[in-house]
Amino acid sequence: MRLASKFILMVAGILSVTLALNAYFFLHSQNRILEQELNERGHVLGHLIALISPDAILGLDFLTLNDYAREVSRQQDVVYGVIVDNDEQPLTSHVNGSNAHVRSVLGLIGPAPEYLPPPRLKALVQQLAQLPDVIPIDFPIVHDGRQLGRLRVGMSREALTTKAREQLIQQFTIYAAIILFLCTAIYLVFKYSVMHPVQRLIKVSQDLGRGEFTLVPVTNGDELGRLGETFNEMTREIQREQAKLQYQANYDSLTAQPNRLLGVERLQQEIHSARRQQQHFALMIIDLDDFKIVNDTMGHAVGDRLLGHVSTHIRACLRDEDTLARLGGDEFLVLLPRLGQASDARDVADRLLEAVSAPVTLDGREVVAHCSIGIALFPDDGETVEVLMANADNAMYQAKKPGRQSICFFTAEMNAQVRERLQLEQDLNKVLARNELHLVFQPIFRAGDGAYVGAEALLRWQHPERGLISPATFIPIAESTGQIVAIGEWVLRETGRQLRRWMNAGLAPGYVAVNIARVQLREDLQQLIRSVLDDNALPAQALELEITENILLDDHQQINTVLGHLHAQGLRFSLDDFGTGYSSLSYLRRFSFDTLKIDRSFVAPLCEDANAAALVRAIVAMAHSLSLKVVAEGVETPAQLEFLQSLGCDYLQGYLLSLPLDTEHFTAFLTRLTQAPPPWGHETLLTDG
Amino acid sequence: MTDATKDTVVAKNADALIQRDRAGGEPGRRRVVLGLLAMLGLTLDAQTIPCARAADAPLVMGIFPRRHATLTTELYEPLAAYLSRELGRELQLVTAKDFDAFWDGVEQRRFDIVHYNQFHYVRSADKYRVIAHNEEFGLGTVAGALYVRKDSGISAIGQLRGRKVVFGGGTDAMMSYILPSYLLLQAGLQPTDYETIFSKNPPNSLISLFHGKADASGAGDILIDLPVVRNAMDTSSVTHLGMTERILHLPWAVRKDMPKALSARIQALLVGLKASEEGRAILTRAEMTGFGAASDVDYDPHRRIIRKVMPAMTIPR
Repeated sequence: MRLASKFILMVAGILSVTLALNAYFFLHSQNRILEQELNERGHVLGHLIALISPDAILGLDFLTLNDYAREVSRQQDVVYGVIVDNDEQPLTSHVNGSNAHVRSVLGLIGPAPEYLPPPRLKALVQQLAQLPDVIPIDFPIVHDGRQLGRLRVGMSREALTTKAREQLIQQFTIYAAIILFLCTAIYLVFKYSVMHPVQRLIKVSQDLGRGEFTLVPVTNGDELGRLGETFNEMTREIQREQAKLQYQANYDSLTAQPNRLLGVERLQQEIHSARRQQQHFALMIIDLDDFKIVNDTMGHAVGDRLLGHVSTHIRACLRDEDTLARLGGDEFLVLLPRLGQASDARDVADRLLEAVSAPVTLDGREVVAHCSIGIALFPDDGETVEVLMANADNAMYQAKKPGRQSICFFTAEMNAQVRERLQLEQDLNKVLARNELHLVFQPIFRAGDGAYVGAEALLRWQHPERGLISPATFIPIAESTGQIVAIGEWVLRETGRQLRRWMNAGLAPGYVAVNIARVQLREDLQQLIRSVLDDNALPAQALELEITENILLDDHQQINTVLGHLHAQGLRFSLDDFGTGYSSLSYLRRFSFDTLKIDRSFVAPLCEDANAAALVRAIVAMAHSLSLKVVAEGVETPAQLEFLQSLGCDYLQGYLLSLPLDTEHFTAFLTRLTQAPPPWGHETLLTDG
Repeated sequence: MTDATKDTVVAKNADALIQRDRAGGEPGRRRVVLGLLAMLGLTLDAQTIPCARAADAPLVMGIFPRRHATLTTELYEPLAAYLSRELGRELQLVTAKDFDAFWDGVEQRRFDIVHYNQFHYVRSADKYRVIAHNEEFGLGTVAGALYVRKDSGISAIGQLRGRKVVFGGGTDAMMSYILPSYLLLQAGLQPTDYETIFSKNPPNSLISLFHGKADASGAGDILIDLPVVRNAMDTSSVTHLGMTERILHLPWAVRKDMPKALSARIQALLVGLKASEEGRAILTRAEMTGFGAASDVDYDPHRRIIRKVMPAMTIPR
């Protein structure tokens, strides 16, 4: 029920009750007065007759008494008038035969007789006197102090009741009119003074609910007016807050450019618009190259400022109708609507490359940023947001690949690569369940005497359809999808089990180096290592954990803590692929490494390139000065072997010495070691016990 | 005009007409109008009468207060108008508020024509001469009667000894007192043998009986048939206990000094009423069926009865 209806019902109810009470008391008092009047009239009449009756009674003048009775009965509202003697016997015989009460009591339909014998008249009077509608009044007829008889008069309330009924109807009609008038008036006042403002408030609230900010027209200063003003103020505040939230939701606070959400939305709009108008547009994904280095070396604050400069430079190269959005990190989206030709996109991309690479001075240092740009064209390269974004992203990743141009248009081949990658991702999910992984071990020998000291466990994936898949192919995928955690655990546990099998076979496997991915460096790694060692009853020295220097770039406290705890348990660490990344030498001092492995890219040109030889010599010298052992990877020729020996390199690993061997062949290798002397020098192999 | 007129109503008096009209209702009004017209006719006719006749004093017609004065006037006004017209003389209709006043008028011979009861006539026979008598219900005679209630168990007059007998009017009432008393005497009951009470008038005597105020009622035999009685009581509840001999009805008399021609003329007019349509209407109005000629000797039976009942009374002749 509506508020106005409720209000009016309430008002009508109150008015009805009030007026009904008023009417009741009015009619009640009116009735009382009328009844008093009736009584009074009866008394006046009775007293008069009682006054003049004695003569007739004493003179036995029944005709006169009857005349009196007739006169009394003729009076208005009189039902009967009878003079009785002291024995209650009627002295008159007249009855008003036309009176309805008389007829009713006598049971007659037509007029009653005008005279009744005394017994019948007496009974009639008694019956009439008991009617609720009749007021019986008695008057003694006294003469000279002696009562001669009584005059009995019955006054009818019928006229009184009729009058009261008429008055009630009249009163009811008047009150109904009053209630109707008042309710209508109150309703109209309520409607225009209260309900209209309230309805306006409701409408504005509904608008507000739909996100439309309309204000309530405030016409007066009463409570509703103030409520309207307050509501308007609230609306404005919400509008401000929503604008703020919308800005925060759609704009990047760092660059003041649209964020991914708004960028995608605009892309969606542009797709609709271009489709409707049969136009082309270009979508660019821009990613800064090696931005992480800036963050790591100069701090995140500088990195953020660099992003701000870059976005400003990009924006400056674009038209007003073009969209620039920061997708996250160092990745930007550029939307070029109404594109004439593909070459126009390239021109813009060229300008963007140039703009991004403009030198920027940050904290007193000149920083030059580079970027890679992937471009997808609508509709040729996709007609949906998802497809266009994925294709532009693919193109960007292609552009990032070494040796590629920094600007790359999407091609169909890229999709094939993507599909292949996606397939590999899906296959990787099942790789452990299908037992498709296995380990191979490449021995590591001491440089001085050629003694076997240990091996590096290398992971292999024997795909049931595609054959052997290189770790260089699937490890990055596993790292990006997080599957590397499970795979890494399997590698550690399998290595532990294999070591135990070899030791149980009386062989001397030495230590086995296992590569650890970045995501594995969590607190639970300690529990895993402890579990592997305990499950296989291995000493801590049986495992060496290899970490690439890129992992250390994060320089996270957590990594340091994990490494510290593991090192304290006796595990050894080697820094893999040293020299290929961007790590500083300070890492060697900060983290507790035991071994440094020189990447094969330094070893390969060792004999032909003097610089490379000098670099390797410096690395070996530096490592030794930090009490680190040095392992040279990728030893493939005797000349390299001799040279590395001459440099004092501690350990060697490479195809010249041994290819990676599967378990069976490595077991045979270890078996041979127990029977044949090492290639050169004395062996100091780690054995069980 | 005599002193009696202070208690009378004159037919031509407008106030009296109005008073009658009020008492009589619509039919009465019509009759009054007719009367007025008649009077107007008489007046016009009178203008044609010789001057000597026009100079005659008005005749006064006195009616005893058998009924209320207004009713009496109402009933006899047409008769008065008729006589006035026929006699060519103004005629004043007079009644009295009570019997005493009326009797005073008789005693003083204020009435030229008088209508009263038989006892009145017998007592005033030295002043008035009877010329006619009433005929009511077709009868020119009446009888006195004793009534009892049917449920009283009284079947003989002798049973009234020691009982209460109500008589109508007073000791002057011929039919309601003298005749019933005569009947009681004939049954051997002296006035001291029963208790005598009087009602206001004869009809009330019977009504008193009806209301149980007495064990017997003395009244005229025709009383039970009068409308005034029938309207006031259930007449079937009472019955005659005994009746006297029939005697001539209420008399109409004229002053003894009235010229014989005039009295004869009046007698002729009265007796001749029932012969004409107009006369019958006048008689009906007066609740009569006719007039009969009467002379003084016709009232000797009355004298005889009165002497029996009232032995001490001197009856003039």
